[in-house]
Amino acid sequence: MRRMTPLLLATLLLAAVGLASAGPTAALEVGQKAPDFTLPGPGNKPVKLSELTAKGPVVVFTFIQAFTNT
Amino acid sequence: MSADHAATLDAFTKQNKINYLLLSDFRRTMLPGYDALVTDEKSPIFRYAKRAYYIIDKNGVVRYMKVQENALDLLDPADVLKALKDSGA
Repeated sequence: MRRMTPLLLATLLLAAVGLASAGPTAALEVGQKAPDFTLPGPGNKPVKLSELTAKGPVVVFTFIQAFTNT
Repeated sequence: MSADHAATLDAFTKQNKINYLLLSDFRRTMLPGYDALVTDEKSPIFRYAKRAYYIIDKNGVVRYMKVQENALDLLDPADVLKALKDSGA
Protein backbone atom coordinates (compact mmCIF):
# COMPACT_ATOMS: atom_id res chain seq x y z
CA MET A 1 0.00 0.00 0.00
CA ARG A 2 2.88 2.36 0.87
CA ARG A 3 4.40 1.78 -2.57
CA MET A 4 1.14 2.79 -4.12
CA THR A 5 1.01 6.13 -2.33
CA PRO A 6 3.53 8.09 -4.48
CA LEU A 7 1.90 6.77 -7.62
CA LEU A 8 -1.53 7.70 -6.34
CA LEU A 9 -0.32 11.17 -5.37
CA ALA A 10 1.26 11.68 -8.78
CA THR A 11 -1.94 10.62 -10.48
CA LEU A 12 -4.02 12.96 -8.36
CA LEU A 13 -1.57 15.79 -9.01
CA LEU A 14 -1.73 15.24 -12.76
CA ALA A 15 -5.51 15.12 -12.63
CA ALA A 16 -5.60 18.39 -10.67
CA VAL A 17 -3.25 20.10 -13.12
CA GLY A 18 -5.37 18.83 -16.00
CA LEU A 19 -8.55 20.17 -14.47
CA ALA A 20 -6.97 23.52 -13.65
CA SER A 21 -5.63 24.01 -17.17
CA ALA A 22 -8.91 22.98 -18.75
CA GLY A 23 -10.73 25.76 -16.90
CA PRO A 24 -13.89 27.33 -18.31
CA THR A 25 -14.48 27.22 -22.06
CA ALA A 26 -12.61 30.06 -23.75
CA ALA A 27 -14.95 32.87 -24.73
CA LEU A 28 -15.55 33.50 -28.41
CA GLU A 29 -13.47 36.33 -29.86
CA VAL A 30 -13.07 38.21 -33.11
CA GLY A 31 -10.74 36.28 -35.43
CA GLN A 32 -11.84 32.89 -34.14
CA LYS A 33 -13.80 30.32 -36.07
CA ALA A 34 -17.48 30.66 -35.16
CA PRO A 35 -18.86 27.41 -33.72
CA ASP A 36 -21.01 25.82 -36.41
CA PHE A 37 -24.60 25.07 -35.51
CA THR A 38 -27.78 23.66 -36.97
CA LEU A 39 -31.02 25.11 -35.63
CA PRO A 40 -34.66 24.87 -36.63
CA GLY A 41 -35.76 27.71 -38.87
CA PRO A 42 -39.04 28.48 -40.63
CA GLY A 43 -41.35 25.47 -40.73
CA ASN A 44 -39.03 23.73 -38.23
CA LYS A 45 -36.60 23.01 -41.08
CA PRO A 46 -32.94 22.77 -40.00
CA VAL A 47 -30.64 25.62 -40.98
CA LYS A 48 -26.87 25.21 -40.76
CA LEU A 49 -24.57 28.19 -40.22
CA SER A 50 -21.81 26.85 -42.50
CA GLU A 51 -24.32 26.48 -45.34
CA LEU A 52 -25.27 30.14 -44.92
CA THR A 53 -21.69 31.42 -44.71
CA ALA A 54 -20.80 29.42 -47.84
CA LYS A 55 -23.03 31.89 -49.70
CA GLY A 56 -21.49 34.99 -48.11
CA PRO A 57 -21.04 36.82 -44.81
CA VAL A 58 -23.77 36.34 -42.21
CA VAL A 59 -25.03 38.74 -39.55
CA VAL A 60 -26.27 36.82 -36.50
CA PHE A 61 -28.45 38.68 -34.05
CA THR A 62 -29.76 37.16 -30.84
CA PHE A 63 -32.76 38.63 -29.06
CA ILE A 64 -34.54 37.82 -25.86
CA GLN A 65 -38.09 36.83 -26.63
CA ALA A 66 -40.54 37.06 -29.53
CA PHE A 67 -43.78 38.98 -29.01
CA THR A 68 -42.12 41.28 -26.49
CA ASN A 69 -40.31 44.57 -26.97
CA THR A 70 -36.98 42.78 -26.45
CA MET B 1 -32.19 33.99 -33.24
CA SER B 2 -33.73 33.43 -29.85
CA ALA B 3 -34.56 30.68 -27.36
CA ASP B 4 -38.21 30.73 -28.46
CA HIS B 5 -39.75 27.61 -29.98
CA ALA B 6 -39.61 27.42 -33.78
CA ALA B 7 -43.42 27.59 -33.98
CA THR B 8 -43.38 30.81 -31.93
CA LEU B 9 -40.85 32.33 -34.29
CA ASP B 10 -42.94 31.28 -37.28
CA ALA B 11 -45.94 33.10 -35.83
CA PHE B 12 -43.78 36.11 -34.96
CA THR B 13 -42.37 36.18 -38.51
CA LYS B 14 -45.84 36.02 -40.02
CA GLN B 15 -47.31 38.67 -37.76
CA ASN B 16 -44.48 41.14 -38.29
CA LYS B 17 -43.81 40.27 -41.95
CA ILE B 18 -40.14 39.60 -41.13
CA ASN B 19 -38.08 39.00 -44.24
CA TYR B 20 -34.99 37.41 -42.67
CA LEU B 21 -34.38 34.01 -41.10
CA LEU B 22 -35.38 33.53 -37.49
CA LEU B 23 -33.78 30.47 -35.90
CA SER B 24 -34.81 28.77 -32.69
CA ASP B 25 -32.28 27.71 -30.05
CA PHE B 26 -34.98 26.27 -27.83
CA ARG B 27 -32.56 23.59 -26.58
CA ARG B 28 -29.82 26.14 -25.88
CA THR B 29 -27.23 24.34 -27.98
CA MET B 30 -25.81 27.38 -29.80
CA LEU B 31 -26.15 30.25 -27.31
CA PRO B 32 -23.57 29.12 -24.68
CA GLY B 33 -20.73 28.82 -27.23
CA TYR B 34 -21.43 32.36 -28.36
CA ASP B 35 -21.51 33.75 -24.80
CA ALA B 36 -25.12 34.67 -25.56
CA LEU B 37 -26.98 32.75 -22.86
CA VAL B 38 -27.99 34.53 -19.65
CA THR B 39 -26.58 32.36 -16.85
CA ASP B 40 -27.31 34.63 -13.88
CA GLU B 41 -30.03 32.84 -11.92
CA LYS B 42 -31.14 36.16 -10.43
CA SER B 43 -31.78 37.68 -13.84
CA PRO B 44 -35.42 37.95 -14.95
CA ILE B 45 -34.25 36.58 -18.30
CA PHE B 46 -32.27 33.63 -16.88
CA ARG B 47 -31.76 30.97 -19.61
CA TYR B 48 -32.92 33.35 -22.35
CA ALA B 49 -30.63 34.82 -25.00
CA LYS B 50 -28.65 37.97 -24.42
CA ARG B 51 -28.83 40.71 -26.99
CA ALA B 52 -25.81 40.09 -29.18
CA TYR B 53 -24.53 40.76 -32.68
CA TYR B 54 -21.99 38.77 -34.69
CA ILE B 55 -20.65 39.13 -38.21
CA ILE B 56 -19.29 35.87 -39.59
CA ASP B 57 -17.42 35.83 -42.89
CA LYS B 58 -17.70 33.26 -45.65
CA ASN B 59 -14.91 31.20 -44.06
CA GLY B 60 -16.86 30.99 -40.80
CA VAL B 61 -14.55 33.40 -38.97
CA VAL B 62 -15.99 35.94 -36.52
CA ARG B 63 -15.20 39.42 -37.87
CA TYR B 64 -17.26 41.41 -35.39
CA MET B 65 -19.10 40.67 -32.19
CA LYS B 66 -20.91 42.69 -29.58
CA VAL B 67 -22.62 41.04 -26.63
CA GLN B 68 -24.75 43.49 -24.66
CA GLU B 69 -24.94 42.93 -20.93
CA ASN B 70 -28.09 45.04 -20.86
CA ALA B 71 -30.76 43.38 -22.99
CA LEU B 72 -32.33 46.75 -23.76
CA ASP B 73 -29.17 48.10 -25.40
CA LEU B 74 -30.05 47.77 -29.05
CA LEU B 75 -27.50 48.79 -31.64
CA ASP B 76 -28.58 51.13 -34.40
CA PRO B 77 -29.06 48.97 -37.53
CA ALA B 78 -26.96 51.54 -39.42
CA ASP B 79 -24.06 50.85 -37.03
CA VAL B 80 -24.38 47.10 -37.65
CA LEU B 81 -24.34 47.70 -41.41
CA LYS B 82 -21.28 49.93 -41.01
CA ALA B 83 -19.61 47.20 -38.94
CA LEU B 84 -20.39 44.72 -41.73
CA LYS B 85 -18.76 46.98 -44.33
CA ASP B 86 -15.78 47.80 -42.09
CA SER B 87 -15.22 44.15 -41.13
CA GLY B 88 -14.20 43.22 -44.67
CA ALA B 89 -16.32 40.05 -44.33
